[in-house]
Amino acid sequence: MLEIKNLHAKVAEEGTEILHGIDLTVNAGEVHAIMGPNGSGKSTLSYILSGREGYEVTEGSVTYKGQDLLQLEAYERAAAGVFLAFQYPIEIPGVATMQFLKVALNSQRKYRGEDELSTPDLMRLVREKSTSLGIKPEMLKRPVNVGFSGGEKKRAEVLQMAVLEPSLCILDETDSGLDIDALRVVAEGVNALRSPDRAMIVITHYQRLLDYIVPDKVHVLSKGRIVNSGGKELALELEKDGYAAYQDDAA
Amino acid sequence: MNRTPAEQTWDEFDTLPSGFADIRKTAADNFKSSGLPTRRVEEFKWTDLRRLIDQPYPPIIGKLHGDIDALIAVSPFAGIAKNRLVFINGLFDQARSKMPDDSNVTITTLSGKPDMDFSLKADDPLDNLNIAYASDGALIRISGKVKDPIELVYISSTKEPATVTTRNIIELDEGAEATILETCTGGKSAYVSNNATEIRLAKGARLDRVRLLDDGPLGIQLSNLIADLGENSKLADFTFIIGGRTVRNQGFATFTGQHAAVNISGAYMLKGKQHADTTLVIDHAVPSCESRELFKCVMDDTSRGVFQAKVIVARDAQKSDGQQTANALLLSDTAEFDAKPELEIYADDVLCGHGATSGDLDNNHLFYLMSRGIPESRARAMLIAAFASSSFEEISNEAVREKFNQIADGWLERQMEV
Ligand SMILES: Nc1ncnc2c1ncn2[C@@H]1O[C@H](COP(=O)(O)OP(=O)(O)OP(=O)(O)O)[C@@H](O)[C@H]1O
Ligand SMILES: [Mg+2]
Repeated sequence: MLEIKNLHAKVAEEGTEILHGIDLTVNAGEVHAIMGPNGSGKSTLSYILSGREGYEVTEGSVTYKGQDLLQLEAYERAAAGVFLAFQYPIEIPGVATMQFLKVALNSQRKYRGEDELSTPDLMRLVREKSTSLGIKPEMLKRPVNVGFSGGEKKRAEVLQMAVLEPSLCILDETDSGLDIDALRVVAEGVNALRSPDRAMIVITHYQRLLDYIVPDKVHVLSKGRIVNSGGKELALELEKDGYAAYQDDAA
Repeated sequence: MNRTPAEQTWDEFDTLPSGFADIRKTAADNFKSSGLPTRRVEEFKWTDLRRLIDQPYPPIIGKLHGDIDALIAVSPFAGIAKNRLVFINGLFDQARSKMPDDSNVTITTLSGKPDMDFSLKADDPLDNLNIAYASDGALIRISGKVKDPIELVYISSTKEPATVTTRNIIELDEGAEATILETCTGGKSAYVSNNATEIRLAKGARLDRVRLLDDGPLGIQLSNLIADLGENSKLADFTFIIGGRTVRNQGFATFTGQHAAVNISGAYMLKGKQHADTTLVIDHAVPSCESRELFKCVMDDTSRGVFQAKVIVARDAQKSDGQQTANALLLSDTAEFDAKPELEIYADDVLCGHGATSGDLDNNHLFYLMSRGIPESRARAMLIAAFASSSFEEISNEAVREKFNQIADGWLERQMEV
């Protein structure tokens, strides 16, 4: 599904290179976890995959479902099935959540040549998904993310994901800010989306999330490189030993 | 100073509309001595009307031209109001109007036999011009609580450049309540529309007035609000400016009784070479009144937005509370916004403040919407509409808010033939 080869990227303005050659292959049906110290480039990688401006890819390639992902605009990537659950979801005053979901879903469907969803159908879909994620109906009446608590924002990201049904889900620290119960609810929501034709990249600092969303592979990203990969037991080791070993390696 | 061609045609227009002869004469004389204001007059420093009104616009009355019904259809308030008063080129059009059916509403027109008197704002050139040439207008008196909104539509649709002048008086008796919805629009030819409204609120009265100013691409709109607020009264006035080449939107509100409140708010959505100016003077002449002004202004291309608001607090007007805010969204490097909030405070125990900001769309917002599959142009349109529509919260009628949201949402795609 996703093949990242020797990806180098820098901040477009300043020119500081953040990713120094990333290789990562994620197949349909798989869940990959990415862990790594603060500032190692995890969010940067997720932004580059989802098409945020401000970064420049200087080397390497990203192939998604056989096409060059980097050629596509952000909205085209979304329509093609790439979804990023933001580490820091953005508040958009004045844009009603329902309206936003409707425009987003129907823009994607239109792009893919599918029929648009009617408002009642969309309302039904959103209500159904939000109930299982423990999202209060009042939240849907507010503007996108405005006035949501940290945890509510993370739930709302997963709600969007459940409504948009992407093929490649990138979750950037979706667990941070969630209380213990919410973590379980959100993880269940994510697990409900697991399927043979969907892949997930789960960025996290905590092994606990991976108890719920059990990954097929775990990667360690440090200073812009993947410095180790392994099975789910790697996360347990990291929890115990920290990143000291990798920081020395990379120095 | 030399008379401009526009001033000359007004000077020469000696067939003043009938009635109000004395005050019209005074007003015409006042205007003859002042002429159109230039940028050297402080209140007009960003809107030099002498330069902007750059050709003759002889006053006309009536003379239908163009597709009037299509212009009436510009009004977003059809369906919200069950009645409608239509003024075409400064004349009441009975056939296209439907009078409100409510014993608490008394309406006459200026061209009928009015029993009301104008109050002239003698130091304002636009008001002098208005009173001198006003050919028609609605004189509305409200007693009691009137539920159904009253709709007014002003059409300027002329063959040749012309001045169309209307003047209204809206009087609310003690404890009366009403909502007025107005649309000003016009055809493709150049014109000056001078539309003034006097609002007089008796004790405890409450008036909501919402206007859409959607003039033709060459239309010049000179709009004046002169409000007198009695004790405990409340005026909520909202103006949404989307059309016209030049709009000068003036408002003068004076508190004459304590514990009254005024809210004069609005939104601009401007593109091409449009120029819109709101200039307000709020006079806290008595203690314990509250004033609010909130304007959200979107400017694209080489358009220009102006906002000036002066809050005057008299020496013994303690406990006055006045807040003014203007926020601009500039969508191009050549768009411009000028704001001058002013406080003139002579009392010591007051709560007054102002703020003005201007900025561009937030790229983080744009990326967030696009990352969900919304194409850039649509995402921009949504964010622009969201900016403007945050002012619509000042409007209490939900159906009106909804209509304005739709207009704001479609604005980016709307073509302006300038
Ligand atoms: N636009 C930018 N301008 C300058 N530096 C940037 C920019 N974006 C990212 N960086 C830098 O790149 C590095 C990687 O940041 P990134 O947000 O990808 O880290 P992260 O691995 O997600 O960290 P965390 O675990 O704290 O979320 C950091 O040092 C950060 O300061
Ligand atoms: Mg991060």
